[in-house]
Amino acid sequence: MRIVVDFGLCKGHGVCMEEAPTVFQVSRDGTLTLLIAEPPPELRSKVEAAVKYCPTEALSLHDE
Amino acid sequence: MQSAHADTRSPSRPIPRLSGGLPWVGHLVPFVRTAVELLERARAECGDVAAFDVGPKRMVLLTGPKASEAFFRSPDEVLSPSEAYRMMEPVFGKDVVYDAPPAKMAEQFSMLLPCLQDRRMRSYGQVIAKEVLRSVEGWGDEGVLDMYEYTKVLTNFTSSTCLLGREFREEMTEEFAQIYSDLERGITPLAFLNAHLPIPSFRKRDRARVRLVELITRIIVDRRRTRSEGEDFLQILMETKYKSGEPLSEHEITGLLLAAMFAGHHTSAVTAAWMMLELARSPALYERVRSEIFRVHGADGPVTYASLREVPVTEGCVKETLRLHPPLFMLMRVAMRDWEYDGYVFPKGTHLLVSPTVTHRMPDLFREPDRFDPDRFGPGREEDKRPFAFQVFGGGSHKCLGNAFALLQIKTIFAILMRRFEFSSYGDPLLPDFHGVVIGPKQPCRVRYRRISAEEGERVASASRDAGAAAAPMTAAGQAMAGRCPFTGARGGEA
Repeated sequence: MRIVVDFGLCKGHGVCMEEAPTVFQVSRDGTLTLLIAEPPPELRSKVEAAVKYCPTEALSLHDE
Repeated sequence: MQSAHADTRSPSRPIPRLSGGLPWVGHLVPFVRTAVELLERARAECGDVAAFDVGPKRMVLLTGPKASEAFFRSPDEVLSPSEAYRMMEPVFGKDVVYDAPPAKMAEQFSMLLPCLQDRRMRSYGQVIAKEVLRSVEGWGDEGVLDMYEYTKVLTNFTSSTCLLGREFREEMTEEFAQIYSDLERGITPLAFLNAHLPIPSFRKRDRARVRLVELITRIIVDRRRTRSEGEDFLQILMETKYKSGEPLSEHEITGLLLAAMFAGHHTSAVTAAWMMLELARSPALYERVRSEIFRVHGADGPVTYASLREVPVTEGCVKETLRLHPPLFMLMRVAMRDWEYDGYVFPKGTHLLVSPTVTHRMPDLFREPDRFDPDRFGPGREEDKRPFAFQVFGGGSHKCLGNAFALLQIKTIFAILMRRFEFSSYGDPLLPDFHGVVIGPKQPCRVRYRRISAEEGERVASASRDAGAAAAPMTAAGQAMAGRCPFTGARGGEA
């Protein structure tokens, strides 16, 4: 499971950080840092919620 | 006369050009009078790329996801929103957002972001819920109301409370609604040609803005003097500084709040009105939405940020309303240098347009595009997931900052209204009113309402729970929510 961020779309709303704070970090000025690009399976449901609720649809999840 | 413009400079392919333009003025008259029809005709006649002239300005309409993506992904230095939205300068103010240099504009927009981040949204949800309850206090057991008139007032209160704060909400009278109306009526296709023509509607617009600056400035001064704080955009902007360390001036705060209010107020008002009118004329769909709302919230349970994530039918209806009735029918950029797309070269100075209204009705993107069908966003279809097809909030770096706020607001309004009253069609024809840039339903657009008694509410809630239990087990997300604070949706001690 690999997270891909489209930084051309991300605006830093921080919804992903609320859903999965160990994976996504968004600063006050809206800069997103991916703390874990390939999160372990136990984080899947949280990461899926982050992808689903991202208001700019900047996140996608890929299974290799 | 048209041939004086060389559309076919090498190495561009010839740009498809809309027929029927008059010498000198091009399509000026239909652009000012019936812009949406003009854009629809341009798409039908020319396809994804359609050129036409409006007076001296050369315009190109880009429709469909591919052309729209090229538009949305171009950086400001190439396709400039500032040049395109000069007409907003009299409303937002000198040196504010679109009128500021690009770097300053970007910094100003980023100052609005903390106002819209996830945690704040939860408190806005509660503010909106309270305002909806307050709005129906005087309704009695049954009656008739003009839906758009109602949602204009309601979203005026919700936006102003979330953005400007409580003082403004309590001090505000009809004067504020009038100010907004005057501002909006000053934003017409004519303003795009010259925003400073000496005509009555522009003079009214300018007077309205001066008055609004006075009202907002008075509150800023009061808060600083009494050291009181609010849970609103205004407070955040009062505390925000540029990277240089310089705080925002009162003029800039006012301008940014105006930009945010203008972006959020009428757009939400028309969307809530369109949605109720669409549901009122489709009783079966109305019943599905109502049943879902009762099932998730019970007859009188709280409406929360978390609970509103579990209403796919309602959410589908909001999206479908936005697809068929986008508040903004076109978005614009100006080419700062020659811009190339798909073999076409658009000369510097060309106005590029994207039209959600036109793209949203393309049958290869949206099946039976003229039909109101909220299930098109559901599992298996997900017609909104194709990138840059569903473009009501724009896209790319200038995508609407308030889209999550907008969805939250509309869902909250319906979750509260539909459990307290039953709405039905009054029979007014449902037509768009193209007067102004935000497109609402033509008035009168009335609905009948009837109060739902406590016993009746319990009956509906119980029936919808039974139906829901039979139809759909709780989703994974729903289970995750169950561990959260029922009021704010926050986990653990976060509330």
